[in-house]
Amino acid sequence: MDAASLEGTARPSLSPRGLDARTFVRPAVIVALLAFVLFALPALLSLYYVDALTQVAIYAIVALGLGLLAGRVGLVSLGQAAVLALGAWVAARLLFATALPFPIVLLLAGLVTMALGTVVGLPALRLSGLYLALITLMLAGAITVVLATTNFPNGGHGFLGYNSNALHTPAMRRPTIASSDPAFFRYSVIVGALMFLLALVHVRTRPGRAWAAIRQSEAAARAAGINTTLYKLWAFALASFVTGVAGGLLAGSSRYLYSIDFPTQASITLLAVVLMGGIFSLWGAIVAALLLQLLPALLNSWGVSPDWLTILFGIGVLQVLTTAPAGLVDQVPKDLARVGRLLSGVARRRARTGESTP
Amino acid sequence: MSTFRVASRARLSLALTGAIGVTVLAGFALSGTSSSAATTRGARAADATSYCGTKPGVAATGTPINLGTIDTKQAGTDFSDISSMAAAYFACVNANGGINGHPIKYDVQYDQTQPAQIAAAAKALIQTDKVVGIVGVTDILECTIDQAYWKSLGIFEIDSGIAPECWSTPNSAAVNMGPRYSSDGAVQYALEQHATKIVFDQSNVPGTGYIAAGPAAIAGAAHVPITQLTENVPVTDASSVALKEVDDAGPNGAVILNFTPPDALVILQAAQKLGIVNRVKLWGCSTPCNTDFLAKSLGPAWNHKLFVNAELTDPDGATGAEFALYRGILTKYGSAVSGGIGSFSQMGFVEAKFAVKALETIKGAYTIKSVNAAFEGIKNYKSAMLCSPWTYGNLALHIPNNVDYTTTTDNGIMVVAQGCHKISSADPQIAKYRTVAAAHGL
Amino acid sequence: MPGGIDLHPLIIGVLGLPSWLDFQPFIYTGLALGGVYALSGVGMVVLYRATGVLFLAFGAVGAMGALIAWQLINAAGLNQWLAYLICILFGGVVTLGYGIVFGRALAAREPLVKAVATLGLALILLGLMDLLWTSSGGESRSITLPTDNSGFIISQIQVTWTQVIGLACGVVMTIVTGAFLRFTKLGTAMRALANDREITATLGVPVRRVEAAAWFGCGILAGFAGVLLADLVALDATTLTFLVISSLAAALIGRLRSIVVTFVAAIVIGLVDAMITPIQSITNYRDMTPFVLAAVALLVVNRQRANSLSREGI
Repeated sequence: MDAASLEGTARPSLSPRGLDARTFVRPAVIVALLAFVLFALPALLSLYYVDALTQVAIYAIVALGLGLLAGRVGLVSLGQAAVLALGAWVAARLLFATALPFPIVLLLAGLVTMALGTVVGLPALRLSGLYLALITLMLAGAITVVLATTNFPNGGHGFLGYNSNALHTPAMRRPTIASSDPAFFRYSVIVGALMFLLALVHVRTRPGRAWAAIRQSEAAARAAGINTTLYKLWAFALASFVTGVAGGLLAGSSRYLYSIDFPTQASITLLAVVLMGGIFSLWGAIVAALLLQLLPALLNSWGVSPDWLTILFGIGVLQVLTTAPAGLVDQVPKDLARVGRLLSGVARRRARTGESTP
Repeated sequence: MSTFRVASRARLSLALTGAIGVTVLAGFALSGTSSSAATTRGARAADATSYCGTKPGVAATGTPINLGTIDTKQAGTDFSDISSMAAAYFACVNANGGINGHPIKYDVQYDQTQPAQIAAAAKALIQTDKVVGIVGVTDILECTIDQAYWKSLGIFEIDSGIAPECWSTPNSAAVNMGPRYSSDGAVQYALEQHATKIVFDQSNVPGTGYIAAGPAAIAGAAHVPITQLTENVPVTDASSVALKEVDDAGPNGAVILNFTPPDALVILQAAQKLGIVNRVKLWGCSTPCNTDFLAKSLGPAWNHKLFVNAELTDPDGATGAEFALYRGILTKYGSAVSGGIGSFSQMGFVEAKFAVKALETIKGAYTIKSVNAAFEGIKNYKSAMLCSPWTYGNLALHIPNNVDYTTTTDNGIMVVAQGCHKISSADPQIAKYRTVAAAHGL
Repeated sequence: MPGGIDLHPLIIGVLGLPSWLDFQPFIYTGLALGGVYALSGVGMVVLYRATGVLFLAFGAVGAMGALIAWQLINAAGLNQWLAYLICILFGGVVTLGYGIVFGRALAAREPLVKAVATLGLALILLGLMDLLWTSSGGESRSITLPTDNSGFIISQIQVTWTQVIGLACGVVMTIVTGAFLRFTKLGTAMRALANDREITATLGVPVRRVEAAAWFGCGILAGFAGVLLADLVALDATTLTFLVISSLAAALIGRLRSIVVTFVAAIVIGLVDAMITPIQSITNYRDMTPFVLAAVALLVVNRQRANSLSREGI
């Protein structure tokens, strides 16, 4: 098949829309936005929302990895939450076992997850489309069972680092420069920005062009002399790396990790929000993370049952796949423009009728 | 292709709107049925509620006292009935004079077992909602996550917990016994019935080793062999699980389960379908099985075969002023309590009652300091729902509820099989608590 | 990792194998579990062959039907057979509704898109079920079919008629649907339609009516499986909704095409899973069985087939 399965009629441009540096205005806007998020937001919001936004920053990285795979290369993974759990497990083990600086832990978590992701990805790459998605779902199921049995490290000894007898579970450490919640929020945003930059560099250079070719037609890409296996594996490695780093951040932000937080179905929800956010733009990852982490926080504080969220995500998936393949990040501006046109049309008509009536 | 898309778009949006509409209607239908069910249960008991406060019939209008809670509310594990019942109790107090004229404002935070979310909820309660006390917490992880935070603020929470820290830290005291001590009680009952082997099976959730240590110590003290098992939940192959348990226990052994009601139910039903219920001496269960829902699903085939450790007095047929008040509040204010009469709402009732009684002792302003001093100072508060008086106190650990009942299935309901019975000090944590409490003159 | 074949030396060498007598009853529980996987695995393959859609909401549709039946029996006091009939009809109607609206809208899209869209339906139904049937008061629900109360004894354990029916349904479904798709006019039309909608349409097959029949039929299957699974596994929305993930393993081994292979794979998965149960040291890893077997089958055994599959556009 021509791996362009999820895009429907929407054909993304080669460069990521929104992060395109056609002018100097756009980077300037992004820098200003980042500065606002880093310095103004933590002061403006209560700690409850600062904590929620920390999760948004972390899950934006996860969504970025999945969005890259699905949108850029046309590889859909239904096991990305399990990859996140792997990264978090590695980071937790390192945080308890070593005194390594936090950035090193993040890097190692990313690298180990990348290695594991690539090992898993290598045989899976022979498959594509539906089969690849289902095999990742199977692998996620297996990882979930292993994690449920081994548990996350909680300061115990041995390779697994799990002490099931603990009367007091110790918290995981955070970097000294980011021990408070607002500081860790800034830390996560900066790491997240670095991951987005890494992704952007990939998308704008050779790998990005190769991925685009593979997505359009794998056979044509191969005919054009592109090593499709290498570049597909590269995409898997990159997605696993950023997801592993996100796992490390998750360990630091939650300070406690439990396998019950990573059920197999979490990967399904993750794919749902990533599709809703939009997989053809890097901004879509941020929208996805807002849906997945900020929306529940809002609903919780309004006293609305989280079950509505599940329903909303379900409707969102159907809506995206049938009518808006580029996701909210594409659809909302279009809809706003349409509403704007409609309103201005109405206004104009009003004005005209106003003129005609004395 | 594109024309097809355009043509279908209208129909699709119609379908999506329809889906949302149906969902909303369904939501209303649900809330409609639950509230009407509550009101039909009669206003007869309404007058019983008037003495939950100090001034019957006079609504409290002073500055509110803010209390808060954090409860697990997710598919499959939903403890919101406990805080809903506590909220109903507080509503009753507010309608009948409040606390010296001050109404209680109760802020409920729900979580889906994510540690970051639970930490954030605690901060929201303190910083945004300005709560001065934490009452009614029922959560899988809360005690672990927030203990350090409560300690730093001087908050003493009153909860019905699950995590080990609910019973092993200075800043938490629970009205229930939790998985470990409740499993202790179930094992103890089996040993008293002369079981020669114990098979203890529990869901594979955080802290299985901590929980299993209790039954292991109890069985060890009686020189009875014990096998420890864990199962990943939800259980999909209940037949194999039941078979394994029965094989391990043998004809004179006992199988003790520590699961949520749905998982316990599928295992017990699988045993029945396999025809192996009578191949062990008895079946036991920690407190979650103590619901009439379970007894009803099991039916008469299980009469007096399953023995459940119960932390609270069986409400079926219980009389007296406190149970009248409990039923009255449930009828008049408890429309949100979906499970109605049962151990969940009983826990919420007891926690709210103790909190209110402690608040009534405060002279002066209601601050974090004064409110938590009152909570910590709770000493020998009595409730008809508990076997023994309940004490908080300035202790390193709190297991204030350590005397309990055993219930058994009887034609679709749970009935008492054994009255109040002390949990054995063979469990080292129980022994430690009793020593510490005795040293403080409790 | 406990895979099918490399398991035995491990067990014998390290773990101390329980005696054959101890294993025997687990064969029957394994067959019952295999029957459970077969029921939804075969159901999904049938649907895939008839509509070209991997219907991942199979479990959710059945679960909601079963919960509605439970509600009708326990709250409204309805006759249980009538309630189960309503459950089965619910499956048919919901699936048909989905097929008419989204099945058609997505007809020209990739199999992956069609499959992911059904996850959307699964999420909507799951959210609805959690809203409508809460467990905030410690509620636990169950469906007990009359066939649970009797059966026969094998190897000291009772096999209930429900378990026999479950297994038999798998066999019957395998034979009947296989024959239906192969030998009847409607079945052939369905297969043709699933393969290529436009060519089939030009051949004069009444596309809409055939499709509607396929969706409705498969929905009926989902509802029927829902009642049985609620009895055999648990009446729990999340459990039944995501049971499809484990059942999918069997369908994957059958490469979403072969109903017979799917059935056999489901039975093997159930057997391996159950046989691991009494082995203490790895018993907690037994739930990996479907995933590991599916992964092995797909990645190792079908190395060559996989390449051709990817060309087929699956």
